[in-house]
Amino acid sequence: MSIRQFRPGRALVGQAPFAVLAFGGCLCAIELLQVLGPIQGFGLLPSVHAETAPCSPATSAEERLFDVEQLTSYIDQALAAAWQRDRIEPAAPADNAEFLRRIYLDVVGKIPSVAELQLFLADSSNDKRRRVVDDLLRRGAHAQHFANTWRGLMLAGAAENIEARIGTPQFETWLRLRFAINTPYDRLVTELLTAPVETAPPANVAARNRNFVPSPAAFFQANEQKPEQIAASTTRIFLGVQVQCAQCHDHPFSHWTRREFWSMAAFFDQPQSQPGAPSKQAVSGSPNAILIPQTQIVVEPAFLDGSQPDWASGSAKRELLSRWITRTDNPYFARAAVNRLWDHFLGRGFVHPVDDLDKANPPSHPELLDEMARQFALHHFDLNYLIRAITGTRAYQLSSRSATVGEDDLAKFARLPLRRMTADQLFASIVQATGFREDRRAAQRGVVLPDMTSAAAEFRNRFADQSVPRTEAETSILQALALMNGKLVSDATDLAKSETLVAVAEAPFLSTEDRVESLFMAALSRKPAPEEMSQFVEYVTRGRADQNPKKALADVFWALLNSAEFALNH
Amino acid sequence: MSPNSPRKSSYELSRRDLLRWSWAGLVGGATLPWLEAMAADAAPVRKRSCILLWMNGGPSQMETFDLKPGHANGGSYHEIATSVPGIKISEHLPKVATLAQHMAIIRSMSTKEGDHGRATYLLRNGYLPQPPVRYPTLGSLVAKELGDPRAELPSFVSISPFRNFNPAAFSPGFLGSQFAPLFVGEARAQNNNDNEDSYDLTVADLHAPHEVTDETVGARLGLLSSLNDRFIGAHAGAPAIGYKTAYDRAVVLMRSEAAKAFDLDEELSAVRDAYGRNRFGQGCLLARRLVERSVPFVEVTLGGVNNIGWDTHTNNFEGVKTLSEMLDPAWATLMTELKSRGLLDSTLIVWMGEFGRTPKINANQGRDHYPNAWSTVLAGGGIRGGQVVGRTSADGTTVEERPVSVPDLLATVCRALGIDPMKQNVSNVGRPIRVVDPAAKSIEEIVG
Repeated sequence: MSIRQFRPGRALVGQAPFAVLAFGGCLCAIELLQVLGPIQGFGLLPSVHAETAPCSPATSAEERLFDVEQLTSYIDQALAAAWQRDRIEPAAPADNAEFLRRIYLDVVGKIPSVAELQLFLADSSNDKRRRVVDDLLRRGAHAQHFANTWRGLMLAGAAENIEARIGTPQFETWLRLRFAINTPYDRLVTELLTAPVETAPPANVAARNRNFVPSPAAFFQANEQKPEQIAASTTRIFLGVQVQCAQCHDHPFSHWTRREFWSMAAFFDQPQSQPGAPSKQAVSGSPNAILIPQTQIVVEPAFLDGSQPDWASGSAKRELLSRWITRTDNPYFARAAVNRLWDHFLGRGFVHPVDDLDKANPPSHPELLDEMARQFALHHFDLNYLIRAITGTRAYQLSSRSATVGEDDLAKFARLPLRRMTADQLFASIVQATGFREDRRAAQRGVVLPDMTSAAAEFRNRFADQSVPRTEAETSILQALALMNGKLVSDATDLAKSETLVAVAEAPFLSTEDRVESLFMAALSRKPAPEEMSQFVEYVTRGRADQNPKKALADVFWALLNSAEFALNH
Repeated sequence: MSPNSPRKSSYELSRRDLLRWSWAGLVGGATLPWLEAMAADAAPVRKRSCILLWMNGGPSQMETFDLKPGHANGGSYHEIATSVPGIKISEHLPKVATLAQHMAIIRSMSTKEGDHGRATYLLRNGYLPQPPVRYPTLGSLVAKELGDPRAELPSFVSISPFRNFNPAAFSPGFLGSQFAPLFVGEARAQNNNDNEDSYDLTVADLHAPHEVTDETVGARLGLLSSLNDRFIGAHAGAPAIGYKTAYDRAVVLMRSEAAKAFDLDEELSAVRDAYGRNRFGQGCLLARRLVERSVPFVEVTLGGVNNIGWDTHTNNFEGVKTLSEMLDPAWATLMTELKSRGLLDSTLIVWMGEFGRTPKINANQGRDHYPNAWSTVLAGGGIRGGQVVGRTSADGTTVEERPVSVPDLLATVCRALGIDPMKQNVSNVGRPIRVVDPAAKSIEEIVG
């Protein structure tokens, strides 16, 4: 595997070629590393489509910068070629209402409002799908949802660590601000990895609120400030390298060793100390070295490819490491990010599971993934560029309709899978549909931890689902009970309390058809089909024993909000 | 024993059938003929159940099951004899002492985690936290193996949990929401002003708001059923099936007679008194009612209130006495009632917390966290009782005989329940993970 196979672009001029990455696709559990000593080795990371490289001489075509449309059509062609080769018939295109609901859930994290839906449906221009995405990104409407999503990813251990939970709001705000202004991804990761880390954040909620400074420090707290855990999370999240694989001996081995792992971990020794301050585990004469626990072995920081940091630059350890990770000629950095974003929108990565870029787990479309990674790097890690290109693809805009579940369809992106919403998406969507407003005092009533008693927190708690991916796991009984009988939906379907319902039921100028249609649009972001219209109009006029059409509308709204169609991203 | 094959097939059968049963069929009538039909052909063999008595905060072994009278570390408690000659326990557990013939007391727990959050995870999930792997909690693992997806009641009920130490220790993890615990009595347990005298242990949101009549609920479910039939018919996929399954089961629970298990007012006042009129006591009574209805895993937390519980850094001796006075009647009555109903042989009772307490008494008459040498108890079904496992030193600081690790303990729990601890589940990171850490060696001498 050599650098030429990755075909570095213009941005790389003047940089040394990226050395052979000799680290494993799967490391062993840290404990195992400590106990076993140097292990024979682990699976090499996948070579960057070595099989095709010889046929791709370095031509000027490789210097080509794709704009958004070009990347979109490159993706379309690559997927279509694979469909043709595998004789797969892709699903029909999603209609406009289906598309808008999906793009809002994936970008904004909630369903569209009725007004947004009507505006979009009334727009007769050809490029309206692209424009709606551009507009949302320009307004930063995606910042909160992306912050929620990446918070979950980057603070995977937060639930187990009270300090990390305390620091979560600061972390989320920090992320939101970065996404809102489309901070380049390499910049965002660098800020995260080099953030100052407090030794002990104030445990007192009031004190924290007084000094609320957006900060990514919770990343280190979620990893308990332990160098080996921070290193493991860093390689997994930003390079797609799994290091917590306790059964790695099932994989083909390469020569990843405990020493190499700890050389990486050494960059994170004493993350809370000032740059240059002597480390607790420091060894005399080697201020940056780390002692492997329970051994006499001392290792100096070194990158996973074996190269040495440039100490002469005078930069701090974590700065040197983040510079190495985010280099444009590090193929794994861009590939891991592209794969993750593709998974975010398509419900599945080219590499699946999304975090495991192991040789034993090859991508479904290797050339496509590489080209997208290359373009991402050439565009200076512009996340919005990638989002715009992905959401413009034919694959993303396919319907999720299908009478049968074909695993192959999903792996080939020939149909969009159903996805469960996250707790945040579901809560925000109910709020959008019903006009619910949280009592601010209730939201601030946190005693032990912030935000434990608000409706949003209670909802998150009930719907927090730790199983991934979202295309597979399932719903709990308590979740169903909460939606059927819980306060949020009960109030939303109470004629005395629900903003949306009252507006629909009381407006004097609406026919029964109009009212039913409004509720469908509010909850399901579509107009009712003719057979649905007649069934629900019939119910509203004559369905109830008490012949009360307003109460009947409440029943309709209840059914819509509890439906699978409402609760799933489709 | 190979418990998996018949269960697996019945699960598949039920999945297929659940798909076939229409919403209308489910929600249309007051009776559910298919449930009766299923019940009729269900295997008569009774599966085992497990009740976990979770001692939040880390109970002191020196004041419960491993006293050191006469030693400076021993403190003020006296030992009393139990129903088994030679086995002695705390004077504040007199009723439990009469049931020692059913108990295996493990005095040689030896673990390495002294932090509440991590130790809670370790004991309850069997592994140390290793993000991004989402290890499931014990109850979810058992629910998956022993639960009947056709049952009206959920397979895992967690009573008055205290999740603040580590929410992930109460999570189904990679097994998914269908094995999530049904939490009862939680909202109040998190209220700082609460005390053990209040015990609302009913299921949240089990019924529609009172202004919504049964008739309206029926009409609404009818509308919902037609919407879902249309959508799910056109959109195949696991999330849709999972969604429908959860709703089906929630509706069954809403309408089920079995949900009366949560109505403790059905019990005689004398019985409720015997368990103790406090949250833990009533929780144990609820556990008995759930096990009677074949729920495979129930856990009851003691010490979740006021954030203190067994975490007796100060005034250990008073604190443990107060807790023991709640623990003793509840646990003893639970076992006695299970026995009189013929259920003790098929119900495993696990008594444990996240770690023990320091043998040395600190300056505040308290004991601090101590994972090095401490005690747990297994009792009832699947356990050969009347035994003590392991021994600690005279000062209580070290295990001198038969150290038991967390995987060893949990593998023993599995064996007592007839579950293969080495069975693999597919995890969220795509590789199989065994129910219990493969390093485990179960304590075979107490498995009955």
